[in-house]
Parts: sequence; C-alpha cells; structure tokens
Amino acid sequence: MSIMETVLVLGVIAIGTYVARAVPILMLAGRVLPVPVQLALRNVGPAVLSALIVVSISTSSSSPGIQVAELVALVVAGIVARWRRNLIWATGAGLVALWIGLWLF
Amino acid sequence: MVDRRAFREGFPLFVPAIPFGLVIGVAAMTSQMPAAGGWLTSVVIFGGASQLATVTLAGTASIWAVMLAGLVINSRHLMYSAALSSTFSRQPRWFAVLGPFVLIDQVFALMVTKTHLEPTEFRRYYITVGLFFYLTWILVVSVGMVLGPVIPVSWRLDVAPALMFTGLVVVAIDRSPALVAAIVGGSVAYLGINLPERLGIVAGAVAGVAAGGVAEMIAMRRGER
Repeated sequence: MSIMETVLVLGVIAIGTYVARAVPILMLAGRVLPVPVQLALRNVGPAVLSALIVVSISTSSSSPGIQVAELVALVVAGIVARWRRNLIWATGAGLVALWIGLWLF
Repeated sequence: MVDRRAFREGFPLFVPAIPFGLVIGVAAMTSQMPAAGGWLTSVVIFGGASQLATVTLAGTASIWAVMLAGLVINSRHLMYSAALSSTFSRQPRWFAVLGPFVLIDQVFALMVTKTHLEPTEFRRYYITVGLFFYLTWILVVSVGMVLGPVIPVSWRLDVAPALMFTGLVVVAIDRSPALVAAIVGGSVAYLGINLPERLGIVAGAVAGVAAGGVAEMIAMRRGER
C-alpha cells in the first residue's frame, strides 16, 4: 500500500469514525435514532468480525485455504472466549492450540 | 482537573485491552501498510477492532474494502453517541465537539453510568478516562510494534488477529440475532473468498447486518429481548 493510499484510508476511516461518535451528540440532543437504524447497528460487530475472521485466517499463511491447525485454534479460542468471557485467555489458548496443532499435523 | 476515581475505575477496563493493543502493534509491523501508517491508526482512528481490520487488510484488499471495513466496524459508535446525547446537551460546545473523539467502548461503558453527575464533574471524569485510554493505548500499540520484529515467524502470530476477532465475536453474541448475523456474515465471506479485492468481506458484512436486522425484527415480534 502506497503512502498516498495509506493517507487516504486513514483519513476516511478517521473522519468517518469521528462522525459516528460525534454527530448524534451534536445533532440529536436527547432524541433517539430511528428503530430500523438501531436494529441494523446492533449486530454490526458480529457480522463484520466474523467476515474478517474468515478472510484473515485464509490469508494468514502462505498455503491456500485454512489449515487444520488454524481451524482448531479458532475453535479453541471461541470455546475459551465463551467460557472465560476474556480476550486474553481466548487468544492465548488459541495460540497454544495452534502450536500444538502445527506440531501434530 | 484530574479525576482520581476515573483512574481507579478505568484501569481495570484497560488491562484486558493491553494484549489487543500488542497484537495490533505486531500486526502493524507485518502489514503491507507503511509502519508509520499502522502506528497512526492508534492516533487518528483510536478503535481497536477497526485498527486491526485496517492493518490486516491493507495491501490484500482494495482500499475501498479496507475503508468500508473500518467504517462499518466503528458505526456502532453511533449508538454510544446517541445514548449520551442528552447528557452532552448540558456541556459546553467545545467539549461536545472534542469529547466524542475518545468515545470508545470502555469510555462509553464508564460514562453511561455517570450521566447523573453534575456537568462539571461529568466532564472532568470523561476527560480523565478519555485521555488515559487514548495515551496508554498509543503506548501499548507502540510497544507491540517494537516487539513485533523480534518475535520469531514460527510463533505464527499472524493468526493472532483472527483469534482476537473470534473472541470478540463470541463475547458479542449474547442474543439469537447476533448469532444469525455472525453465521451469515462469516458464511457469505467464505463463499466470496475468491472475489477480487477481498470484496467477500463487504458482501459478508452487508449480508450479516441485513440478516441480523431481520432476526431482530422477528425477535421483537416474538417478544424476545
């Protein structure tokens, strides 16, 4: 990614993020967002992040597709996140599972 | 000007974010985005998941897909801002303009329980936690960028962002519409994995949000909260 592209990407996301954080405070003054907008925004996190998981795991290694060890790591991270509700534990357990999986397979 | 109670209450919320910041720093050093750009995501965007998405996707997806992913992830801040709008209506204009820059998840979680405070007290608390999270976040990401190049490639920390995203998704799934959004988003992204410029992310995100919205309406009709 070139410097110009980087500046463009950072500028657009930074401005867009500020707008999302500031516009309701500056414009609404206590009024509420329309219900359809509220419903759509509620599940943005799970929708986008799960799409990112698929893409980032499939581009994380030089080999095409998803390796067995990577899949095991994701499952373990998910289980531990559900159990502990803690990102540190989930990521740590996922990495340990990945290393064991790479050693086994 | 500093609110010591804000430090005491904010610190426990910051500790879990430290590994997240370190992973972003490490990812920034392996990103196809210039290292300075990766670091600047902390300064100008200041939002963990969108920063991680930006540095992870940079160079592997079109800049439009990278921008859209970063923007869509942070669109949830609209709800935070809307929830605090009546409290901010009692604040001076300069604070209403500058304050939202640091309105991240943790700051919202603290401030939504402080709306009963007097305007001056609220402002002092907000500025203290906001600046604390902002400055320490930049520091943690910087440390991650220093550590990144000395960590052996065989440790496969390139997988860490996906693991972090998995943890975030699982923690975020608290109701059936969220589960629907996650399943549809991931499935559509997988089906579109060979689309050019990583457009599968955009397709997955749009499909997931739409499916989540439909599931929300069905849940509302059934009386589920």
